[in-house]
Amino acid sequence: MSDKAKPTVEFTNLARDTVLRFMKAQGDDSLAVRIQVASPSPLDPRYEITMIEPAEQCPEDIVFDEYGFDVVMEPESAKLLEGARVDWIETLTETGFKVENPNLAPIGSKPLEGPLADRVRQAIDQFVNPGVAQHGGQVTLVEVRDNIVYLVMGGGCQGCGMASVTLSQGIERILRDQVPEIEGIEDVTNHGEGQNPYISASK
Amino acid sequence: MSRVLLLLSRNSYRAEAFVSAARGLGVDVTVGSNHRQALADLTPGGALTLGVGDVDRSVSTIVRFAADDPLAAIVAAEDDFALVAAAASEALGLRHHPVEAVRAARNKAVMRRRLEAAGFPSPWFDVASVEDDAEAAGARAPYPCVLKPLALSASRGVIRADTPEEFGRAWTRIREILKQPDAVTRSGHGMAEILIEAYMPGREVAVEGIVVGGELRTLALLDKPDPMVGPFFEETILVTPSRLSESVQREIVSSVQRSVAILRLDDGPVHAELRVDGERASLLEVAPRSIGGRCSTILRFEPEATLEELILRHALGMSIDEYSRAPGADGVMMLPIPEAGVLREVGGSDAALEISGITGLDLTIPVGQRVVPLPEGNRYLGFLFARAATPEQVETALRAAHARLDVRIEPS
Repeated sequence: MSDKAKPTVEFTNLARDTVLRFMKAQGDDSLAVRIQVASPSPLDPRYEITMIEPAEQCPEDIVFDEYGFDVVMEPESAKLLEGARVDWIETLTETGFKVENPNLAPIGSKPLEGPLADRVRQAIDQFVNPGVAQHGGQVTLVEVRDNIVYLVMGGGCQGCGMASVTLSQGIERILRDQVPEIEGIEDVTNHGEGQNPYISASK
Repeated sequence: MSRVLLLLSRNSYRAEAFVSAARGLGVDVTVGSNHRQALADLTPGGALTLGVGDVDRSVSTIVRFAADDPLAAIVAAEDDFALVAAAASEALGLRHHPVEAVRAARNKAVMRRRLEAAGFPSPWFDVASVEDDAEAAGARAPYPCVLKPLALSASRGVIRADTPEEFGRAWTRIREILKQPDAVTRSGHGMAEILIEAYMPGREVAVEGIVVGGELRTLALLDKPDPMVGPFFEETILVTPSRLSESVQREIVSSVQRSVAILRLDDGPVHAELRVDGERASLLEVAPRSIGGRCSTILRFEPEATLEELILRHALGMSIDEYSRAPGADGVMMLPIPEAGVLREVGGSDAALEISGITGLDLTIPVGQRVVPLPEGNRYLGFLFARAATPEQVETALRAAHARLDVRIEPS
């Protein structure tokens, strides 16, 4: 195990108290908290926070103990979690730790601004939407991050059996032609919730 | 860069799987479909609008297109475009099953005649037009028998009859089904006939393969653990690898290889269905296409590849020798439609996904749409997918997850 590091992840008072309360209930003050980035995808970043015993720590782990317990991260997760904040939430629908991580901000959580986003939006408005509107569809820009365009397909495009063809053979070609610096296009639509797809797959 | 023409039916389940596989191989894609793509005018070369029925015209369109944008392969995702793909490939000298072989295999009656003429073990069968006298046709049939409309696919309109009276009722029902617009389109192409076969007892299995230079490369053998005894033949669960003995599996593969050779299906995907009774395997059909619906999702290969990628690799002249099915067991359940009406809700999805081994649930009919069960219907509610160490665990997981789904249909 490495020497104790400087704290790079902040625990809110509520998150800290929840951990300490759990340790007290277990009667074991040697327990530590492991935080792991289970999925670094900005489409759906996921984290795992578990209580572990000392024997479960690895020599390469990054460890700090700012809050009255050891916080343990494997090096790759530690890099991705630098500056993150761990909170504890209790609502009607969910209870648990919540991680706010500026390095993996979910798509759509950043303001849609800047010249590149403006040009992509203009291309969508001018070329894409008039075309897909003929099938009752519409395309909305969600975010441009690291030259990757994230968009949502709505109306007749949502759940349409040909949505992937419209995306790859139509939208992507148009956007790459109009905004050549684009490096990729990701469809972040929940097609499973499409209520009125232009074409329902059945073959 | 090479260019592949993907032929997709307008209501294909597999557009994304094939497009994604083609892009993964680094080839340019043109999509041909019986549906005008939304942005086709703005993206020349990206899409072609083709007819399923007018093969000659579609082939001319493809050949004209290929003069400016040379094609390295033409692949049909489903049966609908299989003949167009074969004819256009022949015209351009591309790797594909021959046109005559595809024509024969797509028509179950022609397939039966060819196989029987070559001495292949075949059940009693007869072919009649839907306009023929049902009583006379029923008088010729052995019982039990199965009536199969040639114009339809995926068990639609397939009905077992145990007596002449049931035969007459099945005949009337099939005639009504064949009046549906989509069925009329296909039956207008010379397929307004009914194949009548002696009922073959036993469990059903499916074989997924690619024929390479006349040699069948078996990619997966899938069990259908639900008994399919009729009167309708709804497909539900498919699980691979098969739990049948090695000797029976050899018999199955050998039967498919012989049928492929007789029909001269030389180069391309094949999907065969058989009945297994004890040690005996009897061929129901072998089709010049890959497995339908979203079922290909469960076929994983090592080195990592999808079925669609292997089909494209073969069509592009690349080797598929090094690929084999990934270890472990996989299965899919095609979710049946329990009754006719308007789909109001499918509850219990989260609970179904919590079952150990369940890897996905894909509901493919939006709430609010009309649903029709077999034998009239032609769609599933969706697909459940599972992966586990053994086929038994996969089957158990699929049944447990299905039991948690609460499908609410408002009768109409």
